[in-house]
Amino acid sequence: MGGGGGGGAEEEELTAQETALYDRQIRVWGVDAQKRLSKAHVLVCGVNGTTIEFCKNIVLAGVGSLSLMDDHIVTEDDLNSNFLIPHDESVYGGKSRAEVCCESLKDFNPMVRVAVAKGDPSLIDGTFIDRFDIIVLSRASLKTKLFINDNCRKRSKHIAFYSVDCKDSCGEIFVDLQNHSYLQKKPGGEPEQQELKYPSLQEAISVPWKDLSKKTTKLYYAMRVLESYESSEGRDPGETSLSDLPAVLALRKDMCDRMSLDESRIPTSLLERLLAAGKKEHPPVCAILGGILGQEVIKSISCKGDPIKNFFYYDAADGKGAMEDIPPTPED
Amino acid sequence: MAAMFGGIVGQEPENTRYDAQISVFGSKLQNKLEQAKIFMVGSGALGCEFLKNLALMGISCSQNGKLTVTDDDVIEKSNLSRQFLFRDWNIGQPKSTVAATAAMAINPKLHVEALQNRASPETENVFNDAFWENLDAVVNALDNVTARMYIDSRCVYFQKPLLESGTLGAKCNAQMVIPHLTENYGASRDPPEKQAPMCTVHSFPHNIDHCLTWARSEFEGLLEKTPTEVNGFLSNPSVYVAAARTAGDAQARDQLERVIECLHGDKCETFQDCITWARLKFEDYFSNRVKQLTYTFPEDSMTSSGAPFWSAPKRFPRPLEFSSTDPSQLNFILAASILRAETFGIPIPDWAKTRNKVAAEAVDKVIVPEFQPKQGVKIVTDEKATSISSASVDDAGVIEELITKLEQISKTLPPGFHMNPIQFEKDDDTNFHMDVIAGFANMRARNYSIPEVDKLKAKFIAGRIIPAIATATAMATGLVCLELYKVLAGGHKVEDYRNTFANLAIPLFSIAEPVPPKTIKHKDLSWTVWDRWTVTGNITLRELLEWLKEKGLNAYSISCGTSLLYNSMFPRHKERLDRKVADVAREVAKMEVPSYRRHLDVVVACEDDDDNDVDIPLVSVYFR
Repeated sequence: MGGGGGGGAEEEELTAQETALYDRQIRVWGVDAQKRLSKAHVLVCGVNGTTIEFCKNIVLAGVGSLSLMDDHIVTEDDLNSNFLIPHDESVYGGKSRAEVCCESLKDFNPMVRVAVAKGDPSLIDGTFIDRFDIIVLSRASLKTKLFINDNCRKRSKHIAFYSVDCKDSCGEIFVDLQNHSYLQKKPGGEPEQQELKYPSLQEAISVPWKDLSKKTTKLYYAMRVLESYESSEGRDPGETSLSDLPAVLALRKDMCDRMSLDESRIPTSLLERLLAAGKKEHPPVCAILGGILGQEVIKSISCKGDPIKNFFYYDAADGKGAMEDIPPTPED
Repeated sequence: MAAMFGGIVGQEPENTRYDAQISVFGSKLQNKLEQAKIFMVGSGALGCEFLKNLALMGISCSQNGKLTVTDDDVIEKSNLSRQFLFRDWNIGQPKSTVAATAAMAINPKLHVEALQNRASPETENVFNDAFWENLDAVVNALDNVTARMYIDSRCVYFQKPLLESGTLGAKCNAQMVIPHLTENYGASRDPPEKQAPMCTVHSFPHNIDHCLTWARSEFEGLLEKTPTEVNGFLSNPSVYVAAARTAGDAQARDQLERVIECLHGDKCETFQDCITWARLKFEDYFSNRVKQLTYTFPEDSMTSSGAPFWSAPKRFPRPLEFSSTDPSQLNFILAASILRAETFGIPIPDWAKTRNKVAAEAVDKVIVPEFQPKQGVKIVTDEKATSISSASVDDAGVIEELITKLEQISKTLPPGFHMNPIQFEKDDDTNFHMDVIAGFANMRARNYSIPEVDKLKAKFIAGRIIPAIATATAMATGLVCLELYKVLAGGHKVEDYRNTFANLAIPLFSIAEPVPPKTIKHKDLSWTVWDRWTVTGNITLRELLEWLKEKGLNAYSISCGTSLLYNSMFPRHKERLDRKVADVAREVAKMEVPSYRRHLDVVVACEDDDDNDVDIPLVSVYFR
């Protein structure tokens, strides 16, 4: 009863249990949205502080199923920003991050099917991703992100793609809903049907920098530089340190020269900060990004509410949170 | 901006769980975080998210640190969609204790004390001076403005930082209140929600909200307030009676009448008595009162200005005719009977819950007296009236008679008699509370030809439910915790802090620096709501007035707590001028200053030399 099994039976009513449990949130997004959530299947590749905040949020919200893919064996470093992993080696020892976190997540909502998906995100194929409606990637290499985004776009089934990365006390969310139609609330009027067309990840990161608005956040550029650096050096995402700074600054110069951007647009201090952070995340920032991403996924499943198009950045250094539309949607 | 974030200390990781923080702001600050003393008010949705964050951040995670969390609520099913530290088997248990235990599983070093007191003026013996003075910061995790205003006033008084946040659906906000740097929470409030005028709710409803407001009010009056009044009388009759005499007003008269009704006129001893009570209440509310109202104001009556009385938005009511074959009417009677029986501790027969033939027969058995509307009955129509009780000239006399009657009745009660007040609990679908409230509201709606509502909608409106989701909650607490680092680090300027408002549905993310407090100037002095003026010495009232005169201020009224110590209008107060402030406070305000405290606070009303009122800070007299 309740979760699991895609498609069909739109007429199925929510059970008494679901109505009682989801009362407060049904009053926000309605019964129809709740039903859609209960049929949605989500895949998260990459377990870290930010993605587990996201997982907590969508499991509480009552998605149909959540699959976690992360075969890395839990180490002490993983405990720092992850409240799902108990500080007890006898519990987590020898297990993968996905395994340990799945066990904890199941407790949050017995009506959601939470499972481990064993495997390597860079090797998953089309038939595998067809099981899902939403795919979230975190701390994945650029190559893997592009590969999976491309696969999502090739499937006949509509699969929404998100990537989220938190470094130190800032983060980036990327959204690709391909063609998305949803109901937009109009102040004092009837909700209106809206259509959005999203660029692919490849398109979004290949825009020549000189074509971007002068107000584009420095985080967009900084993330691209780091992405490129990790790619060319064959590093795992976040496997960087301050000692990489000289090489990264050289890469910055190179990229800025090629794409006609003033280097001062990507402050050295920001690059230092991101390099030094490596894989470290600040728990409050995980909560902020996980909250935003959670609501984005709920909006896309329910087709209600304006989704982010197509990047969101948060930086605790100035407290700012901002959307970026890249490449900019042409004015009609 | 003094970067809390955005820089690196360049410190080597210490291989602790706090490496992310240490590498950014160093182990010295990390230690400070671990030794922080925090008061968290509330342990629900915001509370669970805060506890998780604090445990991960290491705040109060050492023996020298302490997190005190308090919440008087218990866990219920609908909480579980946000309050993720709770499980199904925790339903019914206190929120604060369950949350604290779960948080310690995340970080065993968390030094947390979980209490179940509501933070209010009534618990100032628990959250006393020593408690407040010892705090580094206060974090609100509340769901209502009243509590927020109270905590704000305490934080202003004790000069403590307050981190406030709230959510409403997909919206969330975070607000920083820092002593001397920012305005306090109470400085800028949204205008209060417009409440329907009393006469609208009582006699002239025109929408279902009015009916539900009325229904909830009647529920609380009949099933909670009156039984509580009865118990109040029974537990200490002489004190109760003396208070009624002292008050001597229409409200006291009404209360006495209701207590007498409960113990004598309408007293229930069997379940059938409860059915009688419920059936007669139905007749009274939905038939007799309507007949009286339309007798006093017939359909064609005119107002004093010649317009039709019953013009929109007023709706002309019609009385209901009871029939036990109408399921909604029968259900209402049975549900009301069940709750009435609970207040008297009378056992409830099974047939009352199954609503079968036996139930219908029991209700039909009730003899309902004929009703004749009366001449000259006063019905309040003034929208600005704040009370429905019409005062009469001889309230005091009537009260004496009622007291005599009440004392006689109490002699006839069995020993140990007491009532069980019922507190409205909206989320328990088996307790009949919502059945009664929805029933009251819908019957009334039927009188006034207002569309009725189902139990779910009724629960939403009457239960004042706040729609809530986990995502906005998580985000709000993340934003607050970032500010908490700054508060505990200390030394930050107002422009370093961030107030945030976000709406995840749109999405909208907007930030602002907190607003500095309003400064009041007088001659060469200036102050804000955070300031306190101190006078040392066991001074007299006259000396206090002179001290203020030196600042160019003419004090005309001095009060302590809720008592007036001195007012220039009263000639007999002149006798007090040469007495010590502390002594007058002790005598008049019954102010006993505990031995660990050396001062008392007085509120002084002043004017300047041009007779303009000047709003001065609280004055602390250090008399010991």
